[in-house]
Amino acid sequence: MSAPTDSNIYDKICELLKPYNPKNHPIEHSSGIMSDLEVDSVAVFDLIMELEDHYDVSIPMEMVSDIKTVGELVNAVKGLTA
Amino acid sequence: MTALFDKYAPLQARIDMMMKIGSDALGVRFDDILSATRGRIGNREILLAGTNNYLGLTFDEDCRAAAKQAIDDHGTGTTGSRVANGTYSEHTDLEEALAEHFGMPSCIVFTTGYQTNLAAISGLAGDKDVIFMDADAHACIIDGSRLTNASTIRFRHNNPEDLDKRLRRQGEIEGGNALVVIEGMYSMFGDIAPVDEFIDVTHRHGGYLFIDEAHSYGTFGPTGCGIAEEQGVLDKVDFISGTFSKSLASVGGFCASKHPEFEITRKVMRPYMFTASATPSNISAARVAVEKIKSGGHLRDNLKARAQQLHAGLSALDYDLCADPSPVIAARRPNEGVAAMEWNWLMENGVYVNLAVPPGTPQSSSLLRISLSAAHTEQDVQTIIDAFAKMKASQGEMMSGMMSKLQAAE
Repeated sequence: MSAPTDSNIYDKICELLKPYNPKNHPIEHSSGIMSDLEVDSVAVFDLIMELEDHYDVSIPMEMVSDIKTVGELVNAVKGLTA
Repeated sequence: MTALFDKYAPLQARIDMMMKIGSDALGVRFDDILSATRGRIGNREILLAGTNNYLGLTFDEDCRAAAKQAIDDHGTGTTGSRVANGTYSEHTDLEEALAEHFGMPSCIVFTTGYQTNLAAISGLAGDKDVIFMDADAHACIIDGSRLTNASTIRFRHNNPEDLDKRLRRQGEIEGGNALVVIEGMYSMFGDIAPVDEFIDVTHRHGGYLFIDEAHSYGTFGPTGCGIAEEQGVLDKVDFISGTFSKSLASVGGFCASKHPEFEITRKVMRPYMFTASATPSNISAARVAVEKIKSGGHLRDNLKARAQQLHAGLSALDYDLCADPSPVIAARRPNEGVAAMEWNWLMENGVYVNLAVPPGTPQSSSLLRISLSAAHTEQDVQTIIDAFAKMKASQGEMMSGMMSKLQAAE
């Protein structure tokens, strides 16, 4: 399987974020996952597990602590799938 | 420029909303604690159904006598850590009693339950190890992993197959080991881990299993050792931690291991080394409670009967309960506002339960959480069921009351 593009990853994250974004905040690369989209800290880790399974990668919790925005999450997944 | 506390504005807004609905559910003050099941606020007696006092031993005559005697014998405080200022005989006596109870060669006691997991996990996991933790792990397990330089991976709650998949995905851990951390009974939903299956998966991958039995030590197993004993796999568990602040009717915690080498961690666990050791009275109360637990089949039988009674009663009222009957029974509510409103109603009607809200709960759920005690009578549990029934019948009135309070506060 070829490595996913930024756009593929961004679209997947937007799809997975839907159930955690009941207020339908607009999702941008610069959106703060917790600060703007109001996803709570436990739900962020649930989202990470879904991404791990979709891309068959491990995203350790210590890495997640440094990820604040959707764009940073895209970059992290990109780095792990490259 | 922002002020220091500006970052808490969203949290303050949530608290302000709760205060408009009623009182602060996370800051309850009891004017008196009368027994294991009764408290008093003002002139109102409250039925305690949210104190984790599973065996009701906080007022046990022998536990109280031991605590008082320890104060007379050895004073009120230890004034320092065991590493810097020495160990009391009470500490080692309790460690030996717990080790014997588990049939394990090593046990270390700690000053609180929270510090227990902080200390043990940070002592066990080194830079090259990988921690695998259940997705619903308690904050002290998460914080313990943060004290390490180990990589930490979450697996789906109570799902050994998911753990298996993530261990396989991780592959060979060069120069390190996998430390899998689960709980016996989970504190929010009261659901039980399939410990036997987790042991199989963990050991098949060459890892070590660490189980936190904080809510299950004393309440499960023929001699009260917890879920691992209940499932017949106690001798296969690598590490068992627990707290004194639930069934053991005191304050403190322990970690026992089948590996005698665990003793070396006394020299590296910062939350063990750099804090005052538990007081003689706390340790002595817990020491007596261990014996009560070993012979406490009658207490566990009563707890089980009360759990089944409450679960059946609330189910018959169509409450959405989070798990099968256990000492913790949680009802899922539609949202935080409704849960807070109902929590206040229950308090005003003489029943104390726990309001549990995100992010402290799994699945972003808002809960009314009840913890039962062997000291609860059949009538006590009927009182809880009746209160929930009356509350359900009063929903319309309650909602209009809440709207009035919110409007009045605007």
